[in-house]
Amino acid sequence: MFMAGCGSNVTLDPVTIPAPLINPMPLSVAVRIPAEFEHYVHEDEVLGREKWRIDLGRSNAALFSQLFEFMFDDVTIIGPDDDPSALSIDALIEPSIDAFEFSVPSQSRTESYAVWIRYRLKIYDNAGDMYANWPLSAYGKSEEFGLTGDEPLKRAAILAMRDAAALMIMNLDKSTAISTLKDRPAATLASGAKEGVASATAQEEEVAQEKIARLPKRRQVTLPPPGPVAGPAVLSMDPDEDASRENFPEGSSND
Amino acid sequence: MTEATIRSGKILTAGFAALALSGCITSRIEDAREGITGIESGESIVILAKSYHLGNETEGKYISCIEDALSRGSNGLRVIPHKQFVDSLFPWFEPRTAPAETKGLPKLMERPGVAERIAEQNVRYIVWLDGDTDRVAGGGSLSCAAGPGGGGCFGFAWWQNDADYNAAVWDLNGLQSAGSVTADVSGTSFLPALVIPIPLIARARAAACKGLAEQLRNFIVDEPEV
Repeated sequence: MFMAGCGSNVTLDPVTIPAPLINPMPLSVAVRIPAEFEHYVHEDEVLGREKWRIDLGRSNAALFSQLFEFMFDDVTIIGPDDDPSALSIDALIEPSIDAFEFSVPSQSRTESYAVWIRYRLKIYDNAGDMYANWPLSAYGKSEEFGLTGDEPLKRAAILAMRDAAALMIMNLDKSTAISTLKDRPAATLASGAKEGVASATAQEEEVAQEKIARLPKRRQVTLPPPGPVAGPAVLSMDPDEDASRENFPEGSSND
Repeated sequence: MTEATIRSGKILTAGFAALALSGCITSRIEDAREGITGIESGESIVILAKSYHLGNETEGKYISCIEDALSRGSNGLRVIPHKQFVDSLFPWFEPRTAPAETKGLPKLMERPGVAERIAEQNVRYIVWLDGDTDRVAGGGSLSCAAGPGGGGCFGFAWWQNDADYNAAVWDLNGLQSAGSVTADVSGTSFLPALVIPIPLIARARAAACKGLAEQLRNFIVDEPEV
């Protein structure tokens, strides 16, 4: 593996991950695998001597496909040239690799091989607009113990991918709010939805006007006779006060 | 002389030779108990390394050594291989996600399937290993030469390795810490050479493995003296 002046070629086989202990999100998503993601190759020269060519091959595509199938109820894998608009989906996810770095024992002066991969997930809504853009960094480290040749570096790369999978399981929804795209009206329905909102607003205005018209009458009826005991109890029945109380955010009280 | 006497004589000679050809080792093994321990037949333990995301560098060979030492013998404990355990609970014991303190255990157990998987494997204790073996000092000089008439070495070299490890024991019955066992081993190796080098190697990591595993077994199996 370490032949001074020689090159090292490392090719990763497709990676598998164990079935995660999670409840899948009730979303229908498409995953678009770009060509450069499916055939990612990293070339580097360590300390100006050892040339390295690391071919991640289909390992990333395999990992992300498996992972998303575990994470979502319905997943469709599409190619880089496929048109997602024909699909009935809540979201489209497009992964990519921003950067790949590694270190070998001759650099780090340890017994370890390490790999860093910076991924990026772009999430589009069902209208094709970008909804979230999430960069995530994954790290894997492996020793030579029990491994030969280029196996420790492969192992470090696999651990980095596994780290990315764990990170996505933990934080995908927190970082991208992808679950809010569930059953979101599609672009074609947007104008209809706006009309619906407008008519609802008109109805609310009518109701409000009715309330206003009724308020003086009601107040006249419920106004208490002057006196210290009955006063506050009747004032707390004011419908305006009740309405304003409903607008307080949940958890704003100290209860 | 009987055959048995001859055999025991050979063993003694081999033992003295091994002692004569090893370096100098000092070790200190201690435990700190926080609760009552004990293990029923059928219950198992798992040995895991603390996360490398937290800067831990416990070697894979040390974890395997502890697993082997604890499971060996007639009074061996039932040890679940760490990779099998981590895979079965993916992704909750990955370096990024594993709980760093026992107070994270109740939340972990509430995650779907986690308590069931742990119960299926009947895991009673998780042992978290932390630490590594480092070369802390060294010196001397040794030179070797070879020619048409032969070759040889002359000189003297020495080095010191320190193996410091800590094993934190979590009891999954009460979701609390049961205590910890530490091993602090220092080994100095020598390499004198007068034509032929004679290595006198002090295996600090192996000594730390043997000492920690022995103490860990007693810690888990035995109840404290009242």
